[in-house]
Amino acid sequence: MIQAVLADDEVLARQKLRHLLREIPEIQVVGEGATAAETIDLVRTAKPDLLFLDIRMPDMDGFDVIGRLSETVGDSMPSVIFTTAYDRYALRAFEIHAVDYLLKPFTLERFRAATQRALQHIKNLRQNPQAQTGKAKNGSPYTTRIVFKSKGRILFLPVSEICWIGAEENYVRICTQSESHLLRETMSRIEEKLDPSTFLRVHRSSIVNLQYVKEVRPENDGDYGVVLRNGQRIPMSRTYRSRIKHWMGR
Amino acid sequence: MHPLVFIGSATVLGFLFGVQEWVHSLSWNYHMHIDLGLLLRAWGAQYFLWGTICWLLWMLLRPQINDGGLRTILLLFAPLSIAVCFVEEVIWVLLFPHLPMGHPNMHFWTRLAFQLDAEFVDSMVIFWSAFFLFRGLGYYQRYREKERTASQLESQLVQAQMRALRMQLNPHFLFNTMNGISSLMRTDIAAADLMLEQLSGLLRITLHRGDAQFIPLSDEMEFIEMYLAMQGRRYCGRVEQKMRIDPRLHDALVPTMILQPIVENAYRHGLSHINSGGLLSIEASRQDSHLRLCVTNSGRGLALASNGDNSGTGVGLANVRNRLRMHYGADQSLFLSEIEDRRVQVVMTLPLLFGSHSPETNTTRYGVT
Repeated sequence: MIQAVLADDEVLARQKLRHLLREIPEIQVVGEGATAAETIDLVRTAKPDLLFLDIRMPDMDGFDVIGRLSETVGDSMPSVIFTTAYDRYALRAFEIHAVDYLLKPFTLERFRAATQRALQHIKNLRQNPQAQTGKAKNGSPYTTRIVFKSKGRILFLPVSEICWIGAEENYVRICTQSESHLLRETMSRIEEKLDPSTFLRVHRSSIVNLQYVKEVRPENDGDYGVVLRNGQRIPMSRTYRSRIKHWMGR
Repeated sequence: MHPLVFIGSATVLGFLFGVQEWVHSLSWNYHMHIDLGLLLRAWGAQYFLWGTICWLLWMLLRPQINDGGLRTILLLFAPLSIAVCFVEEVIWVLLFPHLPMGHPNMHFWTRLAFQLDAEFVDSMVIFWSAFFLFRGLGYYQRYREKERTASQLESQLVQAQMRALRMQLNPHFLFNTMNGISSLMRTDIAAADLMLEQLSGLLRITLHRGDAQFIPLSDEMEFIEMYLAMQGRRYCGRVEQKMRIDPRLHDALVPTMILQPIVENAYRHGLSHINSGGLLSIEASRQDSHLRLCVTNSGRGLALASNGDNSGTGVGLANVRNRLRMHYGADQSLFLSEIEDRRVQVVMTLPLLFGSHSPETNTTRYGVT
């Protein structure tokens, strides 16, 4: 069972959260705070696993709440999902390792995705208590998720959900199973951030996530192409073939 | 700070020193009687002079006092402090020929030398205290000024953004969408929820743009994609949407919201009249030194559309035409034509310009952190 606290100064916003959480049996709401002070007290006494936190509270902002909590509750810091109408704070949320950042108004689907992520995160924490948030997991320097604005939302996209990344001039297109997002970013910069044991550069303009690769197929002209599980084909160039051979040989 | 307040305070301080010396003389039995009035006059005059001089310097040298670096302090204010001490002492000695007491018939220069010798350090302390007081005051005033302008700018910016919002986001579309949400609420809560989220996204993007006249094509397309996603739900699968954007054109600058009215027209006059198998395609390609944008939709063709029952015919298109003319003069074109089987096509060409916008200024991404 996972215990959650809802913090928002608006009654209706808390009501919506409570209502949506009814559909998720693993999560039990153990308290609601309407101010930052109330929320801090609640978290100290109830020690929840998960905190839904509005950034704009009347007495302090959500980041101050997190700061106070990390001073006092230390190791029993709950996982945090921010719920806010503002999108300026996403980067800060990212820096303090929030699980997700829901922009109001959010849909049920978006909410489900965030809570699933939180459940997974909490489960990992319970199995491996050393892996505290805030410390890089197993010392890996690679990013576990990327954060960006796309289509008026803010996405905290775990890199495991990326199928492949294609270059489009000064942009990269990040493709997941359901969507694609255009980011102003360079291939080399994004490649640096990704774990090379999972993400492989197969072409000057494409990086694939090996978890989604179904097969590598010879094409007619003696070159090879990568076929993803959804049937999509991505050409591979000779320059990068040695890398994939090396990987296949492991 | 008012000069009277400053000079008045300095004079009062002088009187206090005078009283102190008088009390001191009584309790330690100076070997002569000292007149309180004389002491008050002497001390008061000295500090009144200092207050006036400092105020005049502040008036004359305000910029140097506020911004002077070490060089200015050493080369201007250090010599100035000595000069001011001297001048103040000269005036004071002229005012009080009977002082110092008990030394009648002293020559003017001797008296001056005596006073300078006795009070040089005190004078320096007064000068530099005033200097740093004024400097601090300058900092404070400037800080307040900055805060005031910042808040003014902010409110102007918000007003400009609101204006942009009114201009850019077709109110017609906004209220139609709200109406759609209101009707969906009764039948399909999840769909109403999604539509609300999409509308918020559109509003957020519009606000973020502020009143930028030109935006990269990628930003305009992002907006169009969101708009299409909403329309796609409304028309639940009756329309196939195709987009072909040449990747080299992502950064090409286009007037903000130049495509939205055209896409809206495609739905309103064409696609809304088909029950299935509708097609909407948007293409962006390069034509020599021009950018070519092409929107094609199936539907009723032009003849039927123009004498139909639709409201607001041509307003959106006229608006686009005007804006293109204002931005590019004769170096642009906009054609509306009917191609085969009742398909309507709008082709727009405009000069190909690229913005120099760095990744940092791009509001559509945070990127990998």
